[in-house]
Amino acid sequence: MTLLPWLVAGWLLFVGCYGVVTSRHYVHLIGCLSVMQSSTYVLLLAIGFRWGAGPPIFYTHPPGTPAVDPVVQALVLTDIVVGATVTALLLALALQAHKKTGTLDPEAMRPMQR
Amino acid sequence: MSLLLALLFLLAAAAGTGVVLSRDPRRQVMALAANGLVLGLLFLALQAPDVALSEVAVGTAAVPLLFLVAIASIRTDESRNQ
Amino acid sequence: MTHRLRLAGLVVSLAILACALFRIALSMPQFGRHPFPYGQAINRLAPAQRHVSNMVSAVTFDYRGFDTLGEEFMLVGAVSGAAILLRGFRGEQPTARPVQIPGRPVPPPSDAVMLIARLIGPLMMLFGLDVVLHATVTPGGGFQGGAVIASGTLLLWIGEGYRGWRSIVRTWWLDVVEGGGALGFALSGLIPLCFGGGFMENMLPYGKFRDMLSGGLMQIENASVALAVAAGFVLLFLEFLEETRAPEDDQQ
Repeated sequence: MTLLPWLVAGWLLFVGCYGVVTSRHYVHLIGCLSVMQSSTYVLLLAIGFRWGAGPPIFYTHPPGTPAVDPVVQALVLTDIVVGATVTALLLALALQAHKKTGTLDPEAMRPMQR
Repeated sequence: MSLLLALLFLLAAAAGTGVVLSRDPRRQVMALAANGLVLGLLFLALQAPDVALSEVAVGTAAVPLLFLVAIASIRTDESRNQ
Repeated sequence: MTHRLRLAGLVVSLAILACALFRIALSMPQFGRHPFPYGQAINRLAPAQRHVSNMVSAVTFDYRGFDTLGEEFMLVGAVSGAAILLRGFRGEQPTARPVQIPGRPVPPPSDAVMLIARLIGPLMMLFGLDVVLHATVTPGGGFQGGAVIASGTLLLWIGEGYRGWRSIVRTWWLDVVEGGGALGFALSGLIPLCFGGGFMENMLPYGKFRDMLSGGLMQIENASVALAVAAGFVLLFLEFLEETRAPEDDQQ
């Protein structure tokens, strides 16, 4: 079962993709997009893990105790906050789409004509 | 593979599936908050307290609130059009 | 493109991707035994080099500070985009009356909610400030602390109602703090160039190990990020909440 982290990350990606394609409401679509983002967080943190190691904070432990990878944690940390802001931008776009067309169903919106 | 980590991974997969399967946006907000909490626990078990703090603060508090306010704005717009 | 065609395309492409993903998962290094030389080098060298004890903050603000500069400006860009979309359509006048949706009762303000919000809101903002300040010693930093401070501000909204909250939170100083945070980060990269160092080189004194004010230039970058993140989230809440208000003059 050492494949479990990679399989869970792949499952989250697939389930999010299925939700995006078969969605009938734009706000639901944006929620599924954030599930796809969380799959990358799980993958990155699982890569940096090490059995028997502690967090990379040396406040109570002396420097030199085994610790997990801090580089992937830095990547995921900034990504979570910035991803939330981009989600807010997408919600503003959905609100504007509702104002223009009166509906939030992706299947009911037609592409722009020439 | 310790039992706690395996259970937390499976719980994270279940929470993500729950977010996708709740089609009504107002119910999906609660599923998003639960997803944020479960992911925070998983990141804590993976020895990443910084990331867990960030995920709980953003994914459980800020993002569901943004979704709720967006849904309220959409309902306001609908009532104004009638 | 009909619904069935789209669903068939999804199934086919996900099946192909699933096979590829499974093949990759079989050849990944074992979970928990993956060698990470860059991270191990940082864990070994950074406490002596920079006198910090939070390795994640050292990577975010010093060793990979350039990536954080990009992320910071992504955040400012997304917040600006949302503000332009919502403000441009509506104008910038603050209003205070919520829209009356017919058939939906408005509950009266509750004393218990007001009491709890007044007790916990300031405590939460103080906790956020503590998380921001101890970036280089304990888990924390500008990104997390900024999000916590913004959530504390929302508790203020729940307790005082929209009118009270809006009289404190004004658009002009939110814009200034957000832009000022981004400017502070960019300046902390450019000013070492004037003194002969590289871009974002840590030329300030490093301080004592395990002290709150250690790390040199990391403190300035941390403060800028906290300001930008907190102001950004509160600005987003404000823009969306303004959408649920009735216009002052009924000419729309």
